Amino acid sequence: MWARRFGRDERGKMTEYAIRITRLNYSYPDGTRALQEIDLDVRTGERVAIVGPSGAGKSTLLLHLNGVLTGSSPIKIANLNLERSNLQQIRSKVGLLFQDPNDQLFCPTVFEDIAFGPLNLGVPAEEIPARVNKALRECGLEQSIGSRSSHHLSLGERRRVSLAAVLAMEPAILGMDEPTSNLDPRNRKRLIELVSRLEVTLIVATHDLGFVLDVCSRTVVMDRGKIWADGDAQTILSDTRLMEEHGLEVPLPLKAETRP
Amino acid sequence: MRHNFIDRYSSLDSPLHTLESRTKLLAFAILIVGVLSIPTDAEAIFFSYLFAAAVLMGISQIPLGYIMKRMVVLLPFIMLAAVAAPWKGYAGFGALAVRAVLCLILLILLTNTTRFAELLCGLRRFGFPQIVVINLGFLYRYLFVLMEEAMRMKQARDCRRVGRAPLTEELRILSSMLGTLLIRSFERAERMHSAMLSRGYSGDFPVVAPRRFSWHDIVFLAGTSAFVGATIWAR
Repeated sequence: MWARRFGRDERGKMTEYAIRITRLNYSYPDGTRALQEIDLDVRTGERVAIVGPSGAGKSTLLLHLNGVLTGSSPIKIANLNLERSNLQQIRSKVGLLFQDPNDQLFCPTVFEDIAFGPLNLGVPAEEIPARVNKALRECGLEQSIGSRSSHHLSLGERRRVSLAAVLAMEPAILGMDEPTSNLDPRNRKRLIELVSRLEVTLIVATHDLGFVLDVCSRTVVMDRGKIWADGDAQTILSDTRLMEEHGLEVPLPLKAETRP
Repeated sequence: MRHNFIDRYSSLDSPLHTLESRTKLLAFAILIVGVLSIPTDAEAIFFSYLFAAAVLMGISQIPLGYIMKRMVVLLPFIMLAAVAAPWKGYAGFGALAVRAVLCLILLILLTNTTRFAELLCGLRRFGFPQIVVINLGFLYRYLFVLMEEAMRMKQARDCRRVGRAPLTEELRILSSMLGTLLIRSFERAERMHSAMLSRGYSGDFPVVAPRRFSWHDIVFLAGTSAFVGATIWAR
């Protein structure tokens, strides 16, 4: 049982895995091979960035984490095999932040949107307001925003409300798809501070390499549905050849360091 | 871009706003039935309803100008129906027009003293099918998103268009824009569904009622029913 529950890291220490993916393949209904032989293990509490050009399969991989899409081989989430029978349980553990808040916020008011997840988890109605307010506070939002409609909010606010809607479910694993896209510098900085404080296992698909440097310790390079590199964020992001081969760019802070 | 022309004043805090949504749905339905049942020649009853509507407008704290503006937008459609019923003569036309105005005032009051979300919640608690109410909610939420998308497409078209194309060409462009909009909406619906699944959606769309039934609601309901009852009895 121990062998199944725990793996060993390179120093031989016992570690628990939040996500274990082995040889995952996925093709879209039209036959496009979106994911090919993906191997990815993420330890509990780790912060992993998935970087790569558009169409690399990053978002597709994220949608596998909670079984919205299912590929060829089973995925293990917190030691549970992802199966049809435990989908609800897995979805309560894995929160996904979508790229476009308009996709994520589908209720008439912000309050209802944030309450949607907890209500589905079976949280009693009288505890809902406290949950919603806690999530709003965590995301630096006023309680009064709850009665507003999402279409009256700015993009920065909408992104934070989306995050609150996910955090209200108290997930152990948080997957984020391009969390900083289209944000202005102030809102981007706010989001980075906010995400840095979260105590969850984080897996972020992004092009924002500055965000990766600030938030993540590990980076996975994905391109054309495959993983090409996996390791320490600083090392990978400063590898000029690797970066350019996969349509990326060494971020400015790292460029400055290598200058004589 | 901001658009809140459906329920612009619904977040005020007047006595009418704080009532539970079911109370308002029921009370306004009773009032509308009352209005529709006023006999054509009963002028006194018409005036009493106008007076009641004025009182409600006063309580609601919604600016009169706003109600008038909304009415001007909607009135022509209803007047068209009134004109189409010529066999009723002048008196009939007048009665029909006043009834229309009264109903419009009541509906404008209902939608502007109740947040759309609460209205939906009220409908659900009255036993409306969940799927209908959810879709009304989506309509309210995504109408504006769709409008923005259409507006951006129109701007993009205008930026690349010099002068005016022949009508057939214009129509061709328009139809391909509509097609694109449809496909985009379809894709958005798929992403929304993924987002719903990710937050634990399993076929049931739970909501928490924002307000509770209080004695205000009973007073308001009793008041309106008594008023409508009295006007019917006074004939």
